[in-house]
Amino acid sequence: MDITGILLIIATTLFFPGIIIRIKSILSGRKGPGIFQPLKDIWRLFRKGAVYSETSSLIFQIAPAIYFSSVLAAISFIPFGDSPGLISFKWDFVCFAYVLALGKFFMIISSLDTGSSFEGMGASREALYSMLVEPAFFILMGSFALLTGYESFFEIFRSLHFGSYVSYAVGVLAAFVIVIIAMTENSRMPVDDPKTHLELTMVHEVMILDNSGFDLGLILYAANLKFAMYGALIANFFLTPGKEWFYSIPIFIGVQILFAMTVGIIESFMARFRMNHNPQFIFAVTSISLLIFLGVLFVTGKFIAA
Amino acid sequence: MIIYYFIIAIALIGSLFFTRSKILHHILLMLFNALQWGLTVYAYLHLNREELSYFIPDGAAMIMLLVLAVLSSASSYHSAGYLEYHHRHHTTPHRAKSIYYAAFCLLIVAQTGAFLSSHIGVTWVFVELTTFAATVLIYHERTEYAIEAAWKYLFVCSVALAFSFIGILLLSIAAQEAATINLTYSSLIHNAVAFNPFWLKLAFLFVLIGYSAKMGLFPMHTVCVDAHTVAPPPISAFISTTLMNVGFMAIFRFYSVIAPTSIATWANYILLVAGILSVFVAVVYLIRVRHFKRMFAYSSLENMGIVAIGLGTGGIGYYAAFLHLIFHSFTKAGMFYQIQQVYRIFNNYLIRRTGGYFHYYNSGAIIMLLLFVCITAMPPSGLFVSEFMILKAMAEKGYFMLLILLLVLLTFSVWALGKNFFRLIFSPPYGNVPEEKIKPAESLSQWALLGMVFYLGIYPPVELVNLIHAAIITLPH
Amino acid sequence: MIHVFLITFTITLIYIGIANRMSTFIKILALQGILLFGLSFSELHDISTLNLVFILLETILFKTIVIPLFINYLIKRNKITREVEPYLPNFASLVIVTLIILASSLLSMTIDNSPVYTIYFVVALSSLFTGLYIIITRRKIITQLMGFLVVENGVFILSLAVGSKMPMLVNTGILLDFFVSVLVTGIFVNKIGDVFKEPDVNHLSQLRDL
Repeated sequence: MDITGILLIIATTLFFPGIIIRIKSILSGRKGPGIFQPLKDIWRLFRKGAVYSETSSLIFQIAPAIYFSSVLAAISFIPFGDSPGLISFKWDFVCFAYVLALGKFFMIISSLDTGSSFEGMGASREALYSMLVEPAFFILMGSFALLTGYESFFEIFRSLHFGSYVSYAVGVLAAFVIVIIAMTENSRMPVDDPKTHLELTMVHEVMILDNSGFDLGLILYAANLKFAMYGALIANFFLTPGKEWFYSIPIFIGVQILFAMTVGIIESFMARFRMNHNPQFIFAVTSISLLIFLGVLFVTGKFIAA
Repeated sequence: MIIYYFIIAIALIGSLFFTRSKILHHILLMLFNALQWGLTVYAYLHLNREELSYFIPDGAAMIMLLVLAVLSSASSYHSAGYLEYHHRHHTTPHRAKSIYYAAFCLLIVAQTGAFLSSHIGVTWVFVELTTFAATVLIYHERTEYAIEAAWKYLFVCSVALAFSFIGILLLSIAAQEAATINLTYSSLIHNAVAFNPFWLKLAFLFVLIGYSAKMGLFPMHTVCVDAHTVAPPPISAFISTTLMNVGFMAIFRFYSVIAPTSIATWANYILLVAGILSVFVAVVYLIRVRHFKRMFAYSSLENMGIVAIGLGTGGIGYYAAFLHLIFHSFTKAGMFYQIQQVYRIFNNYLIRRTGGYFHYYNSGAIIMLLLFVCITAMPPSGLFVSEFMILKAMAEKGYFMLLILLLVLLTFSVWALGKNFFRLIFSPPYGNVPEEKIKPAESLSQWALLGMVFYLGIYPPVELVNLIHAAIITLPH
Repeated sequence: MIHVFLITFTITLIYIGIANRMSTFIKILALQGILLFGLSFSELHDISTLNLVFILLETILFKTIVIPLFINYLIKRNKITREVEPYLPNFASLVIVTLIILASSLLSMTIDNSPVYTIYFVVALSSLFTGLYIIITRRKIITQLMGFLVVENGVFILSLAVGSKMPMLVNTGILLDFFVSVLVTGIFVNKIGDVFKEPDVNHLSQLRDL
């Protein structure tokens, strides 16, 4: 039991979105806002009250809170180097995925609750992309479980050795897959442009059109948390057990900053995909994680001989 | 000797390519034919002697070489006539003639190499070489149709041969596991019993699918059909006969490798399925075909199907398959030579634009009639003998359902072929009187081929029988 | 190291399935050439100088430089449009390529006792069938040629699994044949481009039984 991980993730959220925005503005030749500007915006929202439409029901009001707490709960699954997360048990990554899915489910039904056709469209897209990305995550974690022989986040990461070339290949691929999953789940660039203001092409943003004030702040902050959470997952690949805290904490922060910079660079240089190209892009992630799975099968020699 | 053959042949091909004079072309072509016959005779005198470490003239190769030598002489003669006629009527560039002759000789050399090679990889190289030569020849008329057919032939054959190469690689995986490094046929036949059946099965499938493009057998037969439609008739005669023999030999060599192993029965079934499907497809298309050369192409498909069935049945079927190939080669080549003369009269290959052939060209019409007797395997012809043997082999093995199915299909094919042949020969004259008369002397080669089909069918010389027996000696009886 | 190359190669297959632009397609083919070089370099340990030169020629010079440049030249000369123009949507291609890879793996599971070759076999078979799939589902003639190159890369991988057991002479003949086939096919694309305005498979369907 160790709360260092959670504290670090929360600390990361303070600068994570700022770095993305900063990178984007530098690359496009602007000066850009300060690192903490996104956080200040969220703080401004927190101090406001929410306005609820007359047609919406209770679900619309509780959904942001559930979404936020689901992300918080998911974070407590993430281990940190040598120490397990707050919650850790066998097959906890399944629970992790479905806790996140629960939050997403409530966001989807809350956007349907508003009765707006745009939000329904956004919800449908979000549901489709989540559905496509889910097998990728499970195949990936399943491959790691197979590779290491353990079943929980903590044990998998603890016993993940990078010895042979093929494990490096699998590691790089896995990092790639997680980055894409993070981008998709957070509705970032190649899949969805958070800065777009055309409802027809929006995915996540259009779902929360009706949320305001405190609720909107919660949702935005939950998105930051989610990003930091995936960053922490990636960082765990590099946190080899047995290292002292003054190694692991800088590594963790470094990986997070690198991740944020990657996101910023991707968003600066890539155009958003056409809406109908998204499914194939997300499915490609599943294909690649299948490759990882097959690769792991070959490496471990667990190829079932009929 | 073989090394000299290749060197002289390449020299002749080069000089054919660079000469533009007609007389020189003819002289060089004659020299080439003399060379081809020289090699054939030499190979017959030195049976089973390895040369250049990859070439052995064994029984099977010898039969095919003889057929090739006969047909290359006949095709050379008809090529000269065809080019003469074609260039009188079309504005094909003059250079095309030189290219035609060079590719023609290259095709023959490649086929010779494919027959003689005793190494599975060398066979593949030469078979691939035949594709290029044949593509150039198919393209000769330079029409849109020619482009399409040449492209399809080249591309599909390349892909198909990539398939058979994979088959060869799979076989060498199997060989490597059994510590056999030598991939010559004799060594493979000797060691194949120890190979992993999984690899062998997979290899056989790949090789069969791949070479079926060359043999004109079921899965990849379409290329050959399209190629026939536009290829110059003397070339069609090659594609339909010796080139199919090349494909057959490639498959047959592989088949002899796996024949002693445990998967032989399985391979037989595969051959039977491929064969009966070939016959079926051929008959379906024969019924609705409207183009003479396509009709002949489908008839080739049908006959190759019969050969595959013969091979798959075993027993006397092996012997009959070879016999059938020889007779089919002679008959089909004669048909293509003759159809060119039909074209010179009617200026068309479409069946409905012909008729009354007797009226225009007596000797040609009789030849056509006899060719019909042969190709439908009616009694006095050699094809009857071979087909009957295959049917007998099937009955001996107890494949009665297949036998009945085959007979029904063959009946349909006789009807379809007869309908079209008789329309050409006996129906009222179609169209105007042709501008040119064809001299009966130009059909001499067809008479000779027909004579061989009848004679060899009734009195097969003991030398030929011995050769065939030598070819199938390694197969289980 | 071999596994890394093979896995990367398989990823390029997936990428080919969804490539939209001709230029992407050509770049992937060049990348495959480099991967094949790395693969053969790390696979063939006791490699003689002659063999090394041969493989260098085949992979780096032939597959990575000459062929992509040649295809580029063909595209420029015949004014072929930049899009790949598949018959099926890319999503379907992606699913099918994935299924091809899975099916090849399943097939290789049925092999009794040769774990050494299994991964080569899987990758080669996937490459073969992906190439065939591309040949079937792409509209342009030039993409058919590129599909053939993918097939050929699969053949190359399988031949690596066999090692250098083929005699040198035979090997050379095989390489020459493949090279000539690509070259001749390319020249034919030119001819077709001269006759028809757009080299498209749809033009080549006049030969049939009416």
